[in-house]
Amino acid sequence: MQRIVVPGEKLVNTPIRIENTISDKNGTYACVLGYFDEEHKTVIPLEGLWQPRHGDSVIGIVEEEKANIYVINLNSPYKGLALTKFIDTDLSVGDIVSATVKELEKGGTVMLLKPMKLNGGKLMAVSSSKIPRIIGKGNSMLKQIMDGTKTTISVGLNGVIWLKGGNIDLATDAILKIQDEAHTHGLTERIKTMLGADPSNQVK
Amino acid sequence: MSGSDKPELIINGKRLDGRGMDELRDIRIEAKVIKNAIGSAYIEWGNNKILAGVYGPKEALPKHVSDPERAIIKCRYAMSPFSSLEEHGRTGPNRRSTEISKVTKETFENVMLLEQFPGSEIDLFIDVLQADGGTRAAGITAAAVALASSGIPMSDIPYAVSVGKVGSELVLDMNKIEDNYSDADLPLSISPRTGDILLLQMDGNMTKEEIKRAIEMAKKAGQKISDIQKAALKLSYERTLEKYKI
Repeated sequence: MQRIVVPGEKLVNTPIRIENTISDKNGTYACVLGYFDEEHKTVIPLEGLWQPRHGDSVIGIVEEEKANIYVINLNSPYKGLALTKFIDTDLSVGDIVSATVKELEKGGTVMLLKPMKLNGGKLMAVSSSKIPRIIGKGNSMLKQIMDGTKTTISVGLNGVIWLKGGNIDLATDAILKIQDEAHTHGLTERIKTMLGADPSNQVK
Repeated sequence: MSGSDKPELIINGKRLDGRGMDELRDIRIEAKVIKNAIGSAYIEWGNNKILAGVYGPKEALPKHVSDPERAIIKCRYAMSPFSSLEEHGRTGPNRRSTEISKVTKETFENVMLLEQFPGSEIDLFIDVLQADGGTRAAGITAAAVALASSGIPMSDIPYAVSVGKVGSELVLDMNKIEDNYSDADLPLSISPRTGDILLLQMDGNMTKEEIKRAIEMAKKAGQKISDIQKAALKLSYERTLEKYKI
């Protein structure tokens, strides 16, 4: 049984440790607007902000070039930093890069590893709490969009998505639809219908 | 104005707009009304019409205001030039709005989990489109919904309401005319989960017993306000759920 909970709403009567909750001696309370699964005792945020963690793959834009470091805009309060000595190709301001988070440093900067330049394509920003739904179980949703539109898609956990080739407009529409309806059932089927119904999507 | 010019605010046990002493005005809240903001809310509280929007968290600027341990909140309360019959000609900050911005900010600093966003700032804008007394309480109530809808973690959704004194009677949720001619005004902001008082200001004089009674009145009415806030937050999602019900 799933239900929508709001901050401060009591979930259980005992203090237990669940992500996105706070607890005191009387019980555990939600601290975000989200979905509470009573069976598995999890709170999935409906809206949310990205919290950098080690190993997160992110996409950003090079904002500044310094002597030995690149400053990368991650569309979040945190600035990404990548050391030039770990990068083979030269980057310039405005380039799109995908990278992996090493750690969140004090003062709100994120150290990045393995930055890789993404050539061409388009970027779009979505709510980062919807990223797991866009990817789907075992990449199923993303694979479905990529197969349906022949677009190459790379998803950053910071809520930035890179698209290239194929039917970009349809892929964008599909991603925005997932973002709006992420909390509903039967979304995979509806996306399948949406991708199949578009006449411009017929592969020649 | 001398005391004798005061209009009679309570006639036959009813207030000027027909309400009882502990009755709220009608409240309607809508969440997520501004697409560009990460969280927003619109409230109609009697004749008050207020918009609240949340932006951020983003890098705190200028750098010297940022806190490396937690996020900072920047709040701006403003009345539109057309919001009331009185002169609010310039929209820039004035003495009154600076004060209200400060107390609103401090209300939310107590319920938001700001440690999760070190070094960043959260911008909160409250714009009064139409004013009819009690805008600071209505503004806090709307801002709480806006912040909750943004997904920034918070331990509770606070509400605010004012209690006033007319003669020897305590009246809940005063409107403009009552506010102008009342003997005391006590705006309160309360966290419903714990019952903590996050804001308490007083204009005028009340006895200790009256303040105790006023807080009780506010807490009782607060359950109603709190329910409206929660329903507004859930509504937009439930609407989509309803559409694809299986």
